[in-house]
Amino acid sequence: MPQWGMVIDLDRCVACQACTAACRAENNVSFAGPEDTQLGRAIFWHEVLSEVTGEYPNVRGTFIPRPCMHCENPPCVRVCPVGATYQNEEGLVLQRYERCIGCRYCMVACPYAVRFFNWRDPQWVENMGNYRNPDVPIRPKGVVEKCTFCSHRLPVPACNQACPGNARFFGDLEDPDSVVSQLARGPRAFRLLEDLGTEPKVYYLREGA
Amino acid sequence: MTLSRREFLKISAAGGASAAAGVGIAKSFFDTETKPEAPAYSQEWIPTICLMCPGGCGVLVRTINGRAVKIEGNPLHPVNTGKVCPKANAALQVLYDPDRIKGPLRQVGERGSGNWQPISWDEAIGIIAARLSEIRAEAGPHTVAFMTGRVRGQMGELIDRFLAAYGSPNHIRHDSLSVDGERIGNELMFGHREQLGYDWDNCNYVLSFGRAFLEASRPTVRQIRAFSSMRRDRPNRRGKFVQIDTRFSITAAKADEWIPIQPGSDGALALGIANIIIAEGLYDAGFVQEHTFGFEDWKDEDGIIHQGFRSFVLNNYHPVQVEALTGVNADTIVRLAREFATAQPAIATGGRGTSMQTNGVYNWMAVQSLNALVGSIEVPGGVMIQNHPPFAPWPDLPPDPVAEQGRNMPRIDAAGTRNHPLATSVYQSLPEHVLASNPYPLSALFLYYTNPLFSAPDVRRFYDAFEQIPFIVSFSPFLDDSSAFADLILPDHTFLERLQDDEIEPSLGYSVVGLRQPVVEPLLDTRDSGDVLIQIARAIGGYITAAFPWENFAHTVQYRLSGLWASERGNIRATSFSHFWDELVSQSVWYDAPYSFGQWGRVFNTPSGKFEFFSQILRNRLESLQGEFDWDDWLDELEIRGRGDMIYLPHYEPPRFIGGGEYPFYLNTYKLMAHAEGRGANAPWLQEKLGLHVRRSWDAWVEINPETATGLGIQEDDWVWVESPLGERIKLKAVLYPGARPDTVNIPFGQGHRFYGRWAEARGENPNWIIADEYDRVAGTAGWYATRVKITKV
Repeated sequence: MPQWGMVIDLDRCVACQACTAACRAENNVSFAGPEDTQLGRAIFWHEVLSEVTGEYPNVRGTFIPRPCMHCENPPCVRVCPVGATYQNEEGLVLQRYERCIGCRYCMVACPYAVRFFNWRDPQWVENMGNYRNPDVPIRPKGVVEKCTFCSHRLPVPACNQACPGNARFFGDLEDPDSVVSQLARGPRAFRLLEDLGTEPKVYYLREGA
Repeated sequence: MTLSRREFLKISAAGGASAAAGVGIAKSFFDTETKPEAPAYSQEWIPTICLMCPGGCGVLVRTINGRAVKIEGNPLHPVNTGKVCPKANAALQVLYDPDRIKGPLRQVGERGSGNWQPISWDEAIGIIAARLSEIRAEAGPHTVAFMTGRVRGQMGELIDRFLAAYGSPNHIRHDSLSVDGERIGNELMFGHREQLGYDWDNCNYVLSFGRAFLEASRPTVRQIRAFSSMRRDRPNRRGKFVQIDTRFSITAAKADEWIPIQPGSDGALALGIANIIIAEGLYDAGFVQEHTFGFEDWKDEDGIIHQGFRSFVLNNYHPVQVEALTGVNADTIVRLAREFATAQPAIATGGRGTSMQTNGVYNWMAVQSLNALVGSIEVPGGVMIQNHPPFAPWPDLPPDPVAEQGRNMPRIDAAGTRNHPLATSVYQSLPEHVLASNPYPLSALFLYYTNPLFSAPDVRRFYDAFEQIPFIVSFSPFLDDSSAFADLILPDHTFLERLQDDEIEPSLGYSVVGLRQPVVEPLLDTRDSGDVLIQIARAIGGYITAAFPWENFAHTVQYRLSGLWASERGNIRATSFSHFWDELVSQSVWYDAPYSFGQWGRVFNTPSGKFEFFSQILRNRLESLQGEFDWDDWLDELEIRGRGDMIYLPHYEPPRFIGGGEYPFYLNTYKLMAHAEGRGANAPWLQEKLGLHVRRSWDAWVEINPETATGLGIQEDDWVWVESPLGERIKLKAVLYPGARPDTVNIPFGQGHRFYGRWAEARGENPNWIIADEYDRVAGTAGWYATRVKITKV
């Protein structure tokens, strides 16, 4: 069984957000609109996190593309009271929408904030529903949803496919010869919040030489 | 649709709602692991060319039962090699935008009242043909103008041809708002009036003077690919990227170094760098000797000695002097010069922030002289001169005396006159000419893929000018700001519904022609504007009909592209044109062999056949127009302060600004990745992830330096007025941004549409309302950064 993992090279990434847009199109994630976005209800299975810090003229910008980490040791699975969140044999952390009761414990437990609650039924204005992808189910109001590593189109997640900077790599972490395994062992590799012991399967390569 | 959870479960279990929506996968509705049952759909991946920006990327559109559902890159297309930017997928929302215009419309109330009456295509074309015939007979054909924006492929020349056949010189392109500063600067030094290609992938060092390399400069996907490649594709060689910019953009954040610079002083910095390269002997003496003109002092045919670039730069741009002009530390200037000249191959480039200033053309010349100094032209890792495809030539126009007389009339926008001697279009000058009926009143205006009531500086002037134009026609698929004030709208297909070729912008150096083709049937009663133009020509009759021997636009495209087939070059070779066309339809791109360096015979199209530090093209142009007028007075009118040989050399013209001490801040507007040219506002996905660096969406904002803001008593998210000397002001949320200079405020361009559909309208503000109509006069280009503003808390 492969154990799917992803590597994102931050030296190649330019924060263009092609990944985010491709994810939304692929996975039938509609938009929230201005009001719901303001309330923090916009859904981004994939998002680029950003921070600009410092004082003029010593300013620094950090941009981190953030899919689900598909943790080896996922806190979300542990807290789910109904078994809606589970890890499959290929290491993907997935959501059974029909079991989800919308309690959102998983959202609290996830240190990476990659889980999203559907505050409304999915809506498409007039024929905007035409661009829905029949391969990905549509989630009703009241359930939590998340990145699946595009389980329906393995081994090429939509975010990786789009990436103009060729900054993203995907493959089997069990296979020591795979590109992702090799990159994950490299000197620039790190993971987010590693000290929490979640064992994320998304690796980042730090910027710079 | 509102359903209770119970109802939802019930319906979806029966497969009703989902099937009706065309999804038809009841079981997988709730389970990500369950694969869909036998897919009840037919799927295709259709290649075409994106038009969310003019980058010309090849894309593959996935269609399900005739609906477009996903857009990915076409691996065969050399610009983007299978990749896309975020705008590509948002094209789905443009195609299925509920506010698209459903068919031809006639304004029956007052303009802007929204009182539209649907009419038939025959009626619409009849009205236009009758009107144009009447104008041609009475006011004269030259009083008809087209304003155009994205005229891709043959569309630009089709409009040129239409106007030439009809008898008007007035095809007003939007380039004087965007890239003409670069193009004209290149013409003066390289002899090619176009943007340059750059071999980024093989370059070691990029000195970017405000080029929005990773955000809004094009072709964006190509540049992002190259950036990544320059960084990491070569073992043990990581290219360095230096961003010189008035604001801390995402490009600046990803660069190795950000050099904040005094607005409008890029040319001075480039010349300061040139000063050190020359003084320290770091320039490529062989290249300069062999391929440049005007480096050393020189004697003309009359024995007059002219100043060369070397002595001019050494005498005038010592780093200490340049520090005072640019705010960039002299030590930094020296270091950048040494790095740039020794990290070969290296590229100096710029963008709108360099070239679309009141001193834009000279800034651009200064930047390009750095490439000449270090020999980064026509070598791997340097500048390339774009090749163009071997299209079949347009047939001659019929010998129509009325048309000939008309097209020889002066242009309405004064391009190429003493006002703007180097210009070929001066888009933003239209209002002053229309309002003064100078040189004549305009009888009709056609708008194709452009939105002057939004995109021009000092927008209000255009509203006034529109009132003076008796007949306005728009081809827009959307009811945008300008179309709302038209008399007739002949809605085009969106780019996913039409056929059109698409030659790439200068970038790769070799020729690439994409074929844009319909991926879905037209959703609405829209028509390809190319077809409509031909239908209008046919309805007018006589010589004008005769100028269009093609049945429709597709045939025109095929005729022109038959030259590609006949050239027997490139990736598609075929025994007949019909085989060539079939193959083109299946690949959707024709491309020539990769760029071949060292073709010196075609690189410099100047009088000397070399790169001209001293521009003889500029001298010849000015001298040809001087006539009996006083030279100094004319230079004053053109607001050129340089005199003597300096006029023809790259030099620092101090930038001009509107607004004195009462307006303490420079206003900088910029374009976001998600909106590029301000046309993405009607795509919700793009609105929702708009200002990544400031974490803002669905709105516009003004970025203020935190200390400056504190001094004004302004806090994050306060509403503020941004007011310019035009007497206009706009209200925006304040963002305290450490990447803003203390003396400059930044506003993204793209929001503030008055009309453009529900997602775009009344959202944020458009800074063009407060930007003055200032010029780089010699080039006729907009000085976008010449307006100063004041900020007050609401």
